[in-house]
Amino acid sequence: MTPSRRTFNKLVLGAGLAAPVHFITPVRAQPKKGDELVVGIWGGAQERIVREHVEKPLVEKYGCKVSYVLGNTLERRARAYAERGRPSFDVIYLNIYESREALQAKVTQAPSKAVPQYEHLYEPAKIGGYGVAFNPCTIVYDGRKAKKPVTSWKDIWNDEWKGRVSWPEGLGTEGIAALMMTARTFGGTEKDFDMVIQKVKQLKPFAAIHSSQVQLYDMFDQGICDIGVEFASFTRKYAETKNPNIVIADPVEGQAISMNVGCITEGTRNQVLAEEWINLHLSEPCMLAFAREIYYSPTVRNITIPADLKGKVLAGDDIAKMVDFDWAYINANRAAWQRKIDREIAG
Amino acid sequence: MTGWKGPALSAPVTLWLLLAFAAPLAVVILLSLQAGGDPFAPLIQPLSLAQFTEIAGDGFYFQVLSETILIGLATTAISAVLGYPLAYWLARMPVQWRALAFAVILIPLLTNVVVRSLGVMLLLSPDGLINSALRLVGLPTATRMLFTHGAVVVGLAQVFMPFMVIALYDTMQSTSPRVHEAAESLGAGPAIRFLTVDLPLSLPGLRSGTVIVFLMSTTAYVSATLLGGKKVMTIGMLVMQEAVANLNAPLASALAIVVTLTGLIFAGLCTWGLNRAMPWRAGKPGEPVSLPGWFVTLAETLGPTLSRLLLTASIGLLLLPLGLVVVQSVNDVPLATAAGFRGFTWKWYEQVLFGGSYTASFLVSLQLAVVSVLVALALATPAAFALARYPFAGRSALLAFWLLPLSLPQIVIGVGMLKLLQVYVAIPAFLGLVGIHVVIVLPFVIALLTTSVQALDRAQEEAADSLGAGPVRRFLMVTLPALAPGLFAAGVIGFLMSFGEVTVTSFLTTARMTTLPVRIYSEATTLEPTAHAISALLIVATVVTLWLVGRVVRLDKLYAR
Repeated sequence: MTPSRRTFNKLVLGAGLAAPVHFITPVRAQPKKGDELVVGIWGGAQERIVREHVEKPLVEKYGCKVSYVLGNTLERRARAYAERGRPSFDVIYLNIYESREALQAKVTQAPSKAVPQYEHLYEPAKIGGYGVAFNPCTIVYDGRKAKKPVTSWKDIWNDEWKGRVSWPEGLGTEGIAALMMTARTFGGTEKDFDMVIQKVKQLKPFAAIHSSQVQLYDMFDQGICDIGVEFASFTRKYAETKNPNIVIADPVEGQAISMNVGCITEGTRNQVLAEEWINLHLSEPCMLAFAREIYYSPTVRNITIPADLKGKVLAGDDIAKMVDFDWAYINANRAAWQRKIDREIAG
Repeated sequence: MTGWKGPALSAPVTLWLLLAFAAPLAVVILLSLQAGGDPFAPLIQPLSLAQFTEIAGDGFYFQVLSETILIGLATTAISAVLGYPLAYWLARMPVQWRALAFAVILIPLLTNVVVRSLGVMLLLSPDGLINSALRLVGLPTATRMLFTHGAVVVGLAQVFMPFMVIALYDTMQSTSPRVHEAAESLGAGPAIRFLTVDLPLSLPGLRSGTVIVFLMSTTAYVSATLLGGKKVMTIGMLVMQEAVANLNAPLASALAIVVTLTGLIFAGLCTWGLNRAMPWRAGKPGEPVSLPGWFVTLAETLGPTLSRLLLTASIGLLLLPLGLVVVQSVNDVPLATAAGFRGFTWKWYEQVLFGGSYTASFLVSLQLAVVSVLVALALATPAAFALARYPFAGRSALLAFWLLPLSLPQIVIGVGMLKLLQVYVAIPAFLGLVGIHVVIVLPFVIALLTTSVQALDRAQEEAADSLGAGPVRRFLMVTLPALAPGLFAAGVIGFLMSFGEVTVTSFLTTARMTTLPVRIYSEATTLEPTAHAISALLIVATVVTLWLVGRVVRLDKLYAR
C-alpha cells in the first residue's frame, strides 16, 4: 500500500513531535564490565545476605563490581544529603521515615516500574523507595513476669510493669512506633503529641531507655527491664535462640508499621545496575533468605511463604493490619518533638 | 638570637592544622552563626546569634552542660586515683616484663569502644561480675548500678584512664633511682616517698593526663549512651542527635562551640593551677611541706595496702570487661547480647577470618594508623620543642589552636567535613583520611611530647656541645635517644587513636576505604557477635606484637633512660 500524501504528512508531523522525546528521556547507559555499584547498607546479616543473593547474580550477569559502605542509617543519610546531586552511593538502605524524607528532599528517586518487581510490591512498600522488608514494631516482654498475657498497648501502663519498662529512645523507628501507638491507643492521632507525652510520662521512672535491640535484649537477659517496644523480627530470633521467656505481643490495636527501604540515589551513574540490584533484592530467594534468617517479612506478593515460616513473618492480609502513620506530619514535627522528649521523657 | 626558632618549629603543625582542620572548624563556626536549620542552606548567610541565644535561654542546655562537666570531672578524678598506682607499677616494673605489663593499657586501647562499653555493662549488671562476687562473700548486692551517672563515669574511666596512665608513666619512669635513694636515706618510707618525691615530679604528666581525659570524657557519647541508657544526657549526645538525627547542623555546631570553650577554660585553669604547684619549673624554690607525725604513720601503715587495692581495682577495671568480651567471642549465641554462656563455638572467628573483607579493612586501618602517626610525630616533635624551649609571643594562643581538635567533639569535625564533602571528594580518599586522622592524633602527641621534652636533661646536651658536637649531631646522638620513650609513648597513643577512630571516619569512609573500627561499629549495632571475635583477635595480636617487638627491638631500651 502506498501511503497517501495526507498519511505521509501525518507521519512526518508525528515523527517531528516525537523527536524531542529522545532529548528529554534520561540516558539509560547500559552497564559495562567493570562498572562499580556502591551500596550503603547495614553490616552483619544484612550485608551477608545481599552479598549472596543480590551481588552474586548481578556480578555474574554484568561482570560489574559491588562495593559496600557499612554503617547505620543516620550516618548514611547524613552523607547522602551532603552529596545531593553528586552521590557516591548508587543504592542506600534507609528506614521508613528516612526514605520518605530523602525522596522529598530529592536525595533519592521515587520507585518506578523500571524495576520489574515493583508491580508486585504491597502498597505501603511503594512509597519513599522500594520497601525491601516489613519489620513491625510491637510490645515484647518477659512472659514469666506477666500476670496475664499482654493484649493491648494499654497494658504497658498496668501497675505490674511500673519501673520495669524500657522505653525506646527518641524518634528512632521503635521510638516513633511506641509514641504513635500511644496516641492511637488513647484515642488520639499524630496531632495529639502533648497528650502522648503526658501518657508516656506516667510510665516514669523507666528501667531504662534503649537505643537498640541489642541493648534491650541485654537488659532482658540481666533482669533490668521486663517489657519494651521492639522489632518483632529480631525479637523472634532472640526468643528462639537465646531467651525463650520473651513473648512477642500481638496487641488488639495492631503492630506498628516499620520497613527497610532500598533507595536509588538521584544522580546515580549506574541507574540500570541499581534497578537490577533492587529487583534482585525483591526476588524470592533473597526475600526468603531474609525471612528465614532474621524473620523479615517479604514486601512483594509473588512469594510463596514456606510452611515453617507461616505465622512468623507477615504476608497477604497481615500487611494491611499493620498500623501506618502520617509520616509527612511526623517528619515535619520531628525536631520540635525531639525537644519535648529530651526535656520530659529522657533523663 | 633564637627568637625565630619557636615560630619556625611551630610552623609545620600550624600549617597542617590550617589546611586540614581550620576549614571544617570555620564551617562549624559559620554553621553556628546561622539562624535556621535547613540542611541544604548555603553556608554563607547573614550572621545570627539565634543558636547561642536559644542555648543561653534554655535551662535544659545549662543542666546538660553542668552534668557533662561533673561527669568529666569525676571521670578525670577516678582516672587519676586509679591511674597513679598503675603508672607507678609500670614504671617500677623490671625491664624484661615491662613490655608485657604495658599490655594492661594497650589492649583496652586497641579494643573497640562499643565492645568495651558492653563489657563494662556486664560488670555492673544485676547478675554481673561485681554482684556475683558480692553474693559469693554473702554481701548485699546492688541491683541498680547500670544506667546511672555512676555507670557512665565508670565506663568513661575504663575508656580514657589509659591516657592518664601513659601521661603519668612518661614522667614517672624518668625519675632517677638516685632521687628515691636520697629520699629513703632521709628516712622516707614508700608512702611518704611517693607523696613527697614521685607525686610532685609527676605533676606535668598529671597536667597532660587531666586535660586529655577531661576533654575526651566531656565530648564522648558512645559509652555515655550505652551505659547511661539514655537516662543520662551529655552534650556529646545532644550534638550527635542534632547533627545526625535532626540534621540541624547550626544548633549542633553552636552546642559544640559551647562545650569546646568550656573545655578550653578548664584546660587553661588546670594548666595554671598545676603550674603554680610546680614553682621549681619557673626556677623558684618550692614551699617546704611539713607533714604531721600521725599522718606519716598512717600513710606508711595504710599506704602499701591501699596502693595494692587501687592497683587491683585499676587493672580489674581495664581488663575484666575484655575478659568477658573474649568469653563472648566463643559463645554459641546468634546475637551480640552479653549475658549467659550457651556453648562453645569458633564460628564467629570463621566469619571474621574467612567470611568477608575484614582483612582488607584491617590493612586499611593499619596503613592509615602508621602513616598518620609518622606524619603526626614529624609535625609534633618540632612543635613540642617550640613549646618547651623557645617561648615566643602568641605561643599560648597557638597551643590553644593545636589542642582545639581535642576539645571539639569529633562528630562536629565530621559535620564540618560533611559540608565540605563536595571539595573533599576531589581528594584521594586515603589522603583525606590521613589529613583528618593526623588532626585527631596531634593534640595527644603534642601534649605527650611536650611533657617529654620538658623532662629532658639539658645538662647532657650542654655536655655534648662542650665536647664539640654540632646541633644535628647533638640532636641525633643525645636528644633523640633521650626523647625515645616519649616518642614511643606518643607513637603508640597516636597509633591507637587513629586505629580506633570511628566517629569522623564513618562519615568519610568510602566503599574501597572502610576501616576496621567502622566495620566493627556496623557489626556491633546489628546483632552478631563477630565484633567480639575481632576484638578478641586484636587482643591476642597486641599481646603477641608486644612480646615480639619486646624481644626483637628490645623495648626495655626505649623505656629505660
